[in-house]
Amino acid sequence: MKVKLWGTRGSVPSPGPETIRYGGNTSCVGVTLSDGSLLALDAGTGIRNLGLSLPEEPTRLHILLTHLHLDHIQGLVFFAPAFRPQTEIVIWGPASPEASLRDRIARYISAPLSPVEVRELPCDVSFKHTPETEWEIGSARIRAASVAHRGPTLGYRIDDGDTSLAYIPDHEPALGADLEALEEDWISGFALARDASMLIHDGQYADAEYPDHVGWGHSSLSHALSFARRTGAKRTVLFHHDPMHSDERLDQLGTEARERWTAFGGDAGAIELGVEGGEYEPRAEPRSPARIV
Amino acid sequence: MTQSQRPLELILARNLMSALSTPAFLVDEGGLLVFYNEAAGVLLGKRFEELGTVGPQEWGAMFGPFDGAGEPIPYDELPLVVAVRNGRPAHASFSIRSTDGAAHEVEVSAFPILTAHGSQGAIAVCWPAASNGAGA
Repeated sequence: MKVKLWGTRGSVPSPGPETIRYGGNTSCVGVTLSDGSLLALDAGTGIRNLGLSLPEEPTRLHILLTHLHLDHIQGLVFFAPAFRPQTEIVIWGPASPEASLRDRIARYISAPLSPVEVRELPCDVSFKHTPETEWEIGSARIRAASVAHRGPTLGYRIDDGDTSLAYIPDHEPALGADLEALEEDWISGFALARDASMLIHDGQYADAEYPDHVGWGHSSLSHALSFARRTGAKRTVLFHHDPMHSDERLDQLGTEARERWTAFGGDAGAIELGVEGGEYEPRAEPRSPARIV
Repeated sequence: MTQSQRPLELILARNLMSALSTPAFLVDEGGLLVFYNEAAGVLLGKRFEELGTVGPQEWGAMFGPFDGAGEPIPYDELPLVVAVRNGRPAHASFSIRSTDGAAHEVEVSAFPILTAHGSQGAIAVCWPAASNGAGA
């Protein structure tokens, strides 16, 4: 399994000289499974560059949406493969009692917000609600589960051979709860991340910022570290950076994260802040996957 | 998903209940009591962390509930059980016995936790009986 971060920013695209190193594109992670199958985790603005990286030959890929907030779907209408008839796209996402996944996404991919309608996309696109039970895509077993955020929101776990990736980019597991004291089965998202080779997790707020954002659906640094430690993830990448956080501020938070992780007894190299363009090859052992770029 | 993970709706219900000063109880989809909050612990005389998850027989022996004649109320008639089994709200008045032996008349309203995947459990909120004066 190979993983590439195409967008690490949360909430809203944040381009500019002050965010050039960590990136300004919103949530999107590309995953190439061991059999060559392609997954895109979320379709924020980062998916535009993912699309540009793909060859124009016939392509089949799966887009796994955690939820339908704009920073996770905004890139769909700028995803070049969607405009090729030889592309087959399966979009997975959370069910809602209100409307189908297709109809909810069509609220964005329709006038006046979009110049095209879903029915006008030249590609072969289908929409599927994630099943309650594990399912297979290519060489991987996929699990989705509801996690604590605003509105119907999923986290994903992808098991491919002996490696696993947990992706929970928007998550507030500490809402009304003490993560250090709770039993494991009472922690939102715990089973998805348990002993994962790699965990990509919400780390939007500094601790001092969190009190002004309780209930907004995101984690403080302390919460993200506690969640990672409790779940036993081998490697953690903090993600969904606040749009107000400059590269300099994120450097500070990364340093704090490593210091606190080592104070927990962890390996400083096993925790980091996600950088747009970062590539990984998660491994079951040793405890940290090799960063290849 | 491992078998031990609680449904998110139960997790959020527990988190909400933890912040309430009204006694509140939570059962899972099988009707097993899986949590009660600090206010309920004060009422019962025992914190949930001391008691842990218990089945209906053990619960009944410790706390009741009892009807006006002091007779145990059948398990199937308890509002929480009705709510979780029938997927409908339920309300009742009865007495419970705290660990110091004192009887407390209470009114209980229970409602099911229904999700896209069916019933995940039920919540019961408890007030001192109206004849005792103000609510919690």
